[in-house]
Amino acid sequence: MQAQLTKKTGDSEPESRPNVAEVENDESRWVRLAQAADSRAFEKLYRAHVNKVYGLCLRMTGNPSEAEDCTQDAFIQAWNQLSRFRGDSAFGTWLHRVAVNTVLGRMRKSRREQDRIRAVSDVAPRPELMGDDGELQDLEQAINELPSGARHVFVLNAVYGYSHSETGDMLGIAEGTSKAQLSRARRLLAQQLKMESA
Amino acid sequence: MNVDDDTRFDEELMARAAKLDASVEPSRDLWPEIATAINAPARPNRSVWNSVWAQAAAVLLLVGGSSGVTYLTMKDGSDSALPMIGTQELVFTPVSGSFGSQYSLGPDYQDARRELASRVEERLENLAPETREDVRTNLESIRQAIEDINRALAEEPDSVLLQELLLDTYRDELSLMNKVDGITRAAMRRGDI
Repeated sequence: MQAQLTKKTGDSEPESRPNVAEVENDESRWVRLAQAADSRAFEKLYRAHVNKVYGLCLRMTGNPSEAEDCTQDAFIQAWNQLSRFRGDSAFGTWLHRVAVNTVLGRMRKSRREQDRIRAVSDVAPRPELMGDDGELQDLEQAINELPSGARHVFVLNAVYGYSHSETGDMLGIAEGTSKAQLSRARRLLAQQLKMESA
Repeated sequence: MNVDDDTRFDEELMARAAKLDASVEPSRDLWPEIATAINAPARPNRSVWNSVWAQAAAVLLLVGGSSGVTYLTMKDGSDSALPMIGTQELVFTPVSGSFGSQYSLGPDYQDARRELASRVEERLENLAPETREDVRTNLESIRQAIEDINRALAEEPDSVLLQELLLDTYRDELSLMNKVDGITRAAMRRGDI
Protein backbone atom coordinates (compact mmCIF):
# COMPACT_ATOMS: atom_id res chain seq x y z
CA MET A 1 0.00 0.00 0.00
CA GLN A 2 1.32 3.45 -0.83
CA ALA A 3 1.55 6.29 1.66
CA GLN A 4 -1.59 8.28 1.28
CA LEU A 5 -2.22 11.94 1.86
CA THR A 6 -5.89 12.23 2.53
CA LYS A 7 -8.40 15.00 2.50
CA LYS A 8 -10.45 15.71 5.57
CA THR A 9 -13.89 14.37 4.76
CA GLY A 10 -15.99 16.03 7.43
CA ASP A 11 -18.21 12.93 7.53
CA SER A 12 -20.10 12.40 10.74
CA GLU A 13 -18.76 9.64 12.95
CA PRO A 14 -20.68 6.36 13.11
CA GLU A 15 -22.79 5.97 16.25
CA SER A 16 -21.00 2.75 17.25
CA ARG A 17 -17.71 4.60 17.56
CA PRO A 18 -16.63 5.33 21.16
CA ASN A 19 -16.96 8.92 22.26
CA VAL A 20 -14.02 11.20 23.01
CA ALA A 21 -14.16 10.67 26.77
CA GLU A 22 -14.04 6.87 26.35
CA VAL A 23 -11.09 7.14 24.00
CA GLU A 24 -9.29 9.40 26.46
CA ASN A 25 -9.96 6.99 29.30
CA ASP A 26 -8.63 4.12 27.23
CA GLU A 27 -5.63 6.17 26.24
CA SER A 28 -4.86 7.14 29.83
CA ARG A 29 -4.99 3.48 30.78
CA TRP A 30 -2.71 2.50 27.90
CA VAL A 31 -0.28 5.23 28.88
CA ARG A 32 -0.21 4.03 32.49
CA LEU A 33 0.34 0.44 31.40
CA ALA A 34 3.00 1.45 28.88
CA GLN A 35 4.76 3.44 31.59
CA ALA A 36 4.89 0.17 33.50
CA ALA A 37 6.73 -1.36 30.50
CA ASP A 38 3.67 -3.03 28.91
CA SER A 39 4.62 -3.09 25.24
CA ARG A 40 1.14 -4.32 24.20
CA ALA A 41 -0.39 -1.19 25.68
CA PHE A 42 2.24 0.85 23.87
CA GLU A 43 1.25 -0.86 20.62
CA LYS A 44 -2.32 0.37 21.19
CA LEU A 45 -0.94 3.90 21.55
CA TYR A 46 1.10 3.37 18.41
CA ARG A 47 -1.96 2.19 16.42
CA ALA A 48 -3.95 5.17 17.64
CA HIS A 49 -1.34 7.79 16.76
CA VAL A 50 0.88 6.43 14.02
CA ASN A 51 -0.92 8.07 11.11
CA LYS A 52 -0.77 11.54 12.62
CA VAL A 53 2.86 11.12 13.64
CA TYR A 54 3.76 9.78 10.20
CA GLY A 55 1.84 12.63 8.52
CA LEU A 56 3.76 15.14 10.60
CA CYS A 57 7.11 13.49 9.83
CA LEU A 58 6.25 13.21 6.13
CA ARG A 59 5.37 16.86 5.80
CA MET A 60 8.37 17.99 7.83
CA THR A 61 10.91 15.88 5.94
CA GLY A 62 9.21 15.84 2.55
CA ASN A 63 10.33 12.26 2.02
CA PRO A 64 8.32 9.07 2.68
CA SER A 65 11.29 6.85 3.50
CA GLU A 66 12.82 9.42 5.86
CA ALA A 67 9.39 9.94 7.40
CA GLU A 68 9.07 6.21 8.14
CA ASP A 69 12.46 6.20 9.87
CA CYS A 70 11.54 9.32 11.84
CA THR A 71 8.22 7.78 12.88
CA GLN A 72 9.93 4.64 14.15
CA ASP A 73 12.58 6.67 15.97
CA ALA A 74 9.91 8.90 17.47
CA PHE A 75 7.98 5.96 18.93
CA ILE A 76 11.17 4.38 20.26
CA GLN A 77 12.11 7.72 21.85
CA ALA A 78 8.60 8.02 23.25
CA TRP A 79 8.88 4.56 24.81
CA ASN A 80 12.22 5.47 26.38
CA GLN A 81 10.91 8.79 27.68
CA LEU A 82 7.45 7.65 28.78
CA SER A 83 8.29 8.08 32.44
CA ARG A 84 8.66 11.82 31.78
CA PHE A 85 5.10 12.13 30.47
CA ARG A 86 3.09 13.55 33.36
CA GLY A 87 -0.17 14.15 31.55
CA ASP A 88 0.20 17.94 31.56
CA SER A 89 -0.79 17.91 27.89
CA ALA A 90 -2.63 15.38 25.76
CA PHE A 91 -0.56 12.31 24.97
CA GLY A 92 -0.84 13.08 21.24
CA THR A 93 0.59 16.57 21.74
CA TRP A 94 3.47 15.16 23.79
CA LEU A 95 4.06 12.54 21.09
CA HIS A 96 4.13 15.25 18.40
CA ARG A 97 6.81 17.09 20.38
CA VAL A 98 8.87 13.92 20.51
CA ALA A 99 8.37 13.45 16.76
CA VAL A 100 9.36 17.04 15.96
CA ASN A 101 12.48 16.67 18.11
CA THR A 102 13.30 13.43 16.33
CA VAL A 103 12.97 15.03 12.91
CA LEU A 104 15.07 18.04 13.92
CA GLY A 105 17.68 15.80 15.57
CA ARG A 106 18.03 13.67 12.46
CA MET A 107 18.27 16.77 10.29
CA ARG A 108 21.00 18.21 12.49
CA LYS A 109 22.94 14.97 12.27
CA SER A 110 22.98 15.13 8.52
CA ARG A 111 24.58 18.33 7.29
CA ARG A 112 23.65 17.51 3.74
CA GLU A 113 20.08 16.66 4.65
CA GLN A 114 18.52 19.08 2.20
CA ASP A 115 20.51 17.81 -0.77
CA ARG A 116 19.89 14.21 0.20
CA ILE A 117 16.15 14.62 0.61
CA ARG A 118 15.87 16.55 -2.60
CA ALA A 119 17.85 13.88 -4.43
CA VAL A 120 15.70 11.09 -2.99
CA SER A 121 12.43 12.86 -3.57
CA ASP A 122 13.39 13.36 -7.20
CA VAL A 123 13.39 9.61 -7.72
CA ALA A 124 10.88 8.58 -5.06
CA PRO A 125 7.31 8.05 -6.23
CA ARG A 126 5.05 10.87 -5.20
CA PRO A 127 2.56 9.92 -2.51
CA GLU A 128 -0.78 9.02 -4.00
CA LEU A 129 -3.40 11.56 -3.24
CA MET A 130 -6.89 10.49 -2.42
CA GLY A 131 -9.83 12.36 -3.77
CA ASP A 132 -9.97 14.56 -6.80
CA ASP A 133 -9.08 17.85 -5.22
CA GLY A 134 -6.31 19.13 -7.47
CA GLU A 135 -5.91 22.25 -5.38
CA LEU A 136 -4.95 20.20 -2.32
CA GLN A 137 -2.50 18.18 -4.39
CA ASP A 138 -0.90 21.39 -5.61
CA LEU A 139 -0.73 22.69 -2.05
CA GLU A 140 0.92 19.49 -0.78
CA GLN A 141 3.50 19.75 -3.54
CA ALA A 142 4.10 23.45 -2.85
CA ILE A 143 4.52 22.81 0.91
CA ASN A 144 7.05 20.10 0.09
CA GLU A 145 9.11 22.63 -1.84
CA LEU A 146 9.27 25.22 0.94
CA PRO A 147 12.59 25.85 2.72
CA SER A 148 12.74 23.69 5.84
CA GLY A 149 12.27 26.48 8.41
CA ALA A 150 9.18 27.87 6.72
CA ARG A 151 7.87 24.37 5.97
CA HIS A 152 8.10 23.22 9.59
CA VAL A 153 6.26 26.27 10.90
CA PHE A 154 3.59 26.08 8.19
CA VAL A 155 2.95 22.38 8.81
CA LEU A 156 2.69 22.73 12.59
CA ASN A 157 0.69 25.95 12.52
CA ALA A 158 -1.51 25.79 9.43
CA VAL A 159 -1.99 22.04 9.03
CA TYR A 160 -1.79 20.73 12.60
CA GLY A 161 -3.28 23.80 14.22
CA TYR A 162 -0.65 24.51 16.84
CA SER A 163 -0.37 28.10 18.06
CA HIS A 164 2.75 30.15 17.39
CA SER A 165 3.71 29.71 21.03
CA GLU A 166 3.41 25.92 20.78
CA THR A 167 5.09 25.85 17.37
CA GLY A 168 7.99 27.95 18.63
CA ASP A 169 8.29 25.74 21.69
CA MET A 170 8.38 22.56 19.60
CA LEU A 171 10.90 23.90 17.11
CA GLY A 172 13.03 25.71 19.67
CA ILE A 173 12.47 29.14 18.12
CA ALA A 174 10.91 32.36 19.39
CA GLU A 175 7.20 32.98 18.88
CA GLY A 176 8.06 35.98 16.70
CA THR A 177 10.29 33.83 14.53
CA SER A 178 7.43 31.39 14.10
CA LYS A 179 5.18 34.23 12.93
CA ALA A 180 7.85 35.49 10.55
CA GLN A 181 8.41 32.00 9.12
CA LEU A 182 4.67 31.51 8.63
CA SER A 183 4.44 34.81 6.80
CA ARG A 184 7.38 33.77 4.62
CA ALA A 185 5.78 30.38 3.95
CA ARG A 186 2.49 31.99 2.94
CA ARG A 187 4.26 34.40 0.60
CA LEU A 188 6.28 31.61 -1.03
CA LEU A 189 3.25 29.34 -1.32
CA ALA A 190 1.20 32.12 -2.84
CA GLN A 191 3.90 32.77 -5.44
CA GLN A 192 4.20 29.08 -6.20
CA LEU A 193 0.48 28.42 -6.50
CA LYS A 194 -0.21 31.56 -8.51
CA MET A 195 2.57 30.58 -10.89
CA GLU A 196 1.08 27.13 -11.32
CA SER A 197 -2.42 28.44 -11.93
CA ALA A 198 -1.22 31.07 -14.42
CA MET B 1 -3.67 41.85 -8.40
CA ASN B 2 -4.50 44.33 -5.60
CA VAL B 3 -4.22 44.09 -1.80
CA ASP B 4 -7.76 42.73 -1.43
CA ASP B 5 -7.00 39.96 -3.89
CA ASP B 6 -3.80 39.10 -2.00
CA THR B 7 -5.67 38.98 1.30
CA ARG B 8 -8.40 36.80 -0.16
CA PHE B 9 -5.84 34.46 -1.71
CA ASP B 10 -4.00 34.25 1.61
CA GLU B 11 -7.19 33.39 3.46
CA GLU B 12 -8.05 30.73 0.88
CA LEU B 13 -4.56 29.32 1.21
CA MET B 14 -4.89 28.94 4.99
CA ALA B 15 -8.37 27.46 4.60
CA ARG B 16 -7.03 24.93 2.12
CA ALA B 17 -4.14 24.08 4.47
CA ALA B 18 -6.62 23.47 7.28
CA LYS B 19 -8.45 21.01 4.99
CA LEU B 20 -5.36 18.85 4.62
CA ASP B 21 -5.71 15.72 6.68
CA ALA B 22 -3.16 15.52 9.49
CA SER B 23 -3.29 11.72 9.30
CA VAL B 24 -1.29 9.93 6.62
CA GLU B 25 -1.06 6.16 6.47
CA PRO B 26 2.49 4.83 6.07
CA SER B 27 3.11 2.44 3.19
CA ARG B 28 3.94 -0.40 5.61
CA ASP B 29 3.44 -1.45 9.20
CA LEU B 30 6.21 0.22 11.18
CA TRP B 31 5.38 -1.56 14.44
CA PRO B 32 7.46 -4.79 14.12
CA GLU B 33 10.76 -2.87 14.03
CA ILE B 34 9.64 -0.62 16.88
CA ALA B 35 8.64 -3.69 18.92
CA THR B 36 12.03 -5.28 18.29
CA ALA B 37 13.81 -2.11 19.41
CA ILE B 38 11.81 -1.55 22.58
CA ASN B 39 11.91 -5.21 23.61
CA ALA B 40 15.67 -5.49 23.10
CA PRO B 41 17.64 -6.08 26.30
CA ALA B 42 18.61 -2.79 27.89
CA ARG B 43 22.22 -1.76 27.47
CA PRO B 44 24.20 -1.17 30.64
CA ASN B 45 23.42 2.32 31.84
CA ARG B 46 26.62 4.27 31.39
CA SER B 47 26.18 7.72 32.73
CA VAL B 48 27.75 10.51 30.69
CA TRP B 49 28.95 12.11 33.90
CA ASN B 50 30.62 8.90 35.07
CA SER B 51 32.49 8.80 31.80
CA VAL B 52 33.46 12.47 32.00
CA TRP B 53 34.68 12.16 35.60
CA ALA B 54 36.54 8.96 34.81
CA GLN B 55 38.34 10.65 31.92
CA ALA B 56 39.10 13.73 34.03
CA ALA B 57 40.48 11.50 36.78
CA ALA B 58 42.58 9.59 34.26
CA VAL B 59 44.03 12.80 32.83
CA LEU B 60 44.87 14.14 36.31
CA LEU B 61 46.50 10.88 37.36
CA LEU B 62 48.40 10.70 34.12
CA VAL B 63 49.68 14.28 34.13
CA GLY B 64 50.56 14.17 37.83
CA GLY B 65 52.29 10.84 37.63
CA SER B 66 54.12 11.65 34.42
CA SER B 67 55.38 15.00 35.74
CA GLY B 68 56.45 13.43 39.03
CA VAL B 69 58.44 10.63 37.53
CA THR B 70 60.04 12.94 34.97
CA TYR B 71 61.15 15.26 37.77
CA LEU B 72 62.46 12.42 39.92
CA THR B 73 64.39 10.64 37.19
CA MET B 74 65.92 13.85 35.84
CA LYS B 75 66.84 14.88 39.38
CA ASP B 76 68.38 11.48 40.15
CA GLY B 77 70.45 11.61 36.99
CA SER B 78 72.15 14.90 37.91
CA ASP B 79 72.45 14.38 41.66
CA SER B 80 75.57 12.66 42.93
CA ALA B 81 74.29 12.28 46.51
CA LEU B 82 73.16 8.86 47.71
CA PRO B 83 69.45 8.32 47.24
CA MET B 84 67.25 7.89 50.32
CA ILE B 85 66.15 4.34 49.68
CA GLY B 86 62.65 3.61 50.89
CA THR B 87 61.83 7.14 51.93
CA GLN B 88 61.61 8.78 48.54
CA GLU B 89 58.10 9.26 47.20
CA LEU B 90 57.81 7.08 44.12
CA VAL B 91 55.72 7.76 41.08
CA PHE B 92 54.72 5.41 38.28
CA THR B 93 56.77 4.66 35.22
CA PRO B 94 55.44 2.78 32.23
CA VAL B 95 57.04 0.13 30.12
CA SER B 96 55.87 1.41 26.79
CA GLY B 97 54.51 4.79 27.74
CA SER B 98 50.97 3.59 27.22
CA PHE B 99 48.03 4.19 29.47
CA GLY B 100 45.05 2.18 28.30
CA SER B 101 44.07 2.86 24.73
CA GLN B 102 43.17 6.52 25.05
CA TYR B 103 46.26 8.16 26.49
CA SER B 104 49.97 8.09 25.98
CA LEU B 105 52.78 9.62 27.97
CA GLY B 106 54.75 12.66 26.83
CA PRO B 107 58.22 12.57 25.18
CA ASP B 108 59.97 14.13 28.25
CA TYR B 109 58.65 11.38 30.41
CA GLN B 110 59.64 8.74 27.87
CA ASP B 111 63.23 10.07 27.77
CA ALA B 112 63.48 10.19 31.55
CA ARG B 113 62.12 6.68 31.94
CA ARG B 114 64.49 5.35 29.28
CA GLU B 115 67.44 6.93 31.07
CA LEU B 116 66.46 5.38 34.40
CA ALA B 117 65.89 1.94 32.85
CA SER B 118 69.25 2.13 31.10
CA ARG B 119 70.97 3.08 34.36
CA VAL B 120 69.25 0.19 36.15
CA GLU B 121 70.50 -2.25 33.50
CA GLU B 122 74.04 -1.03 34.09
CA ARG B 123 73.66 -1.30 37.86
CA LEU B 124 72.29 -4.82 37.58
CA GLU B 125 75.61 -5.98 36.19
CA ASN B 126 77.21 -5.08 39.53
CA LEU B 127 74.87 -7.32 41.53
CA ALA B 128 75.40 -10.98 42.37
CA PRO B 129 73.97 -13.32 39.68
CA GLU B 130 71.18 -14.66 41.97
CA THR B 131 70.14 -11.18 43.05
CA ARG B 132 70.29 -9.96 39.45
CA GLU B 133 68.08 -12.85 38.39
CA ASP B 134 65.59 -12.12 41.17
CA VAL B 135 65.40 -8.45 40.23
CA ARG B 136 64.91 -9.26 36.54
CA THR B 137 62.17 -11.77 37.35
CA ASN B 138 60.40 -9.21 39.51
CA LEU B 139 60.69 -6.52 36.85
CA GLU B 140 59.33 -8.91 34.21
CA SER B 141 56.36 -9.78 36.42
CA ILE B 142 55.57 -6.12 36.96
CA ARG B 143 55.90 -5.32 33.26
CA GLN B 144 53.68 -8.27 32.35
CA ALA B 145 51.09 -6.95 34.79
CA ILE B 146 51.32 -3.50 33.17
CA GLU B 147 50.68 -5.04 29.75
CA ASP B 148 47.72 -7.03 31.07
CA ILE B 149 46.14 -4.01 32.73
CA ASN B 150 46.72 -1.93 29.60
CA ARG B 151 44.90 -4.55 27.56
CA ALA B 152 42.02 -4.55 30.05
CA LEU B 153 41.94 -0.74 29.92
CA ALA B 154 41.66 -0.88 26.14
CA GLU B 155 38.42 -2.81 26.71
CA GLU B 156 37.19 -0.57 29.52
CA PRO B 157 38.91 2.81 29.07
CA ASP B 158 36.72 4.50 31.69
CA SER B 159 37.39 2.04 34.50
CA VAL B 160 38.78 4.07 37.38
CA LEU B 161 39.70 0.84 39.19
CA LEU B 162 41.90 -0.30 36.30
CA GLN B 163 43.46 3.17 35.98
CA GLU B 164 44.39 3.15 39.67
CA LEU B 165 45.70 -0.40 39.41
CA LEU B 166 47.85 0.59 36.43
CA LEU B 167 49.26 3.58 38.28
CA ASP B 168 50.07 1.42 41.32
CA THR B 169 51.85 -1.07 39.09
CA TYR B 170 53.85 1.69 37.39
CA ARG B 171 54.80 2.89 40.87
CA ASP B 172 55.90 -0.63 41.82
CA GLU B 173 58.15 -0.80 38.78
CA LEU B 174 59.66 2.61 39.49
CA SER B 175 60.12 1.73 43.13
CA LEU B 176 62.02 -1.43 42.21
CA MET B 177 64.18 0.38 39.65
CA ASN B 178 64.97 3.18 42.12
CA LYS B 179 65.90 0.66 44.80
CA VAL B 180 68.23 -1.17 42.43
CA ASP B 181 69.76 2.13 41.34
CA GLY B 182 70.20 3.31 44.94
CA ILE B 183 71.50 0.00 46.32
CA THR B 184 74.10 -0.45 43.62
CA ARG B 185 75.26 3.15 43.89
CA ALA B 186 75.60 2.77 47.66
CA ALA B 187 77.50 -0.49 47.22
CA MET B 188 79.89 1.17 44.80
CA ARG B 189 80.56 3.99 47.29
CA ARG B 190 81.30 1.51 50.08
CA GLY B 191 83.54 -0.45 47.74
CA ASP B 192 85.44 2.69 46.87
CA ILE B 193 86.07 3.34 50.58
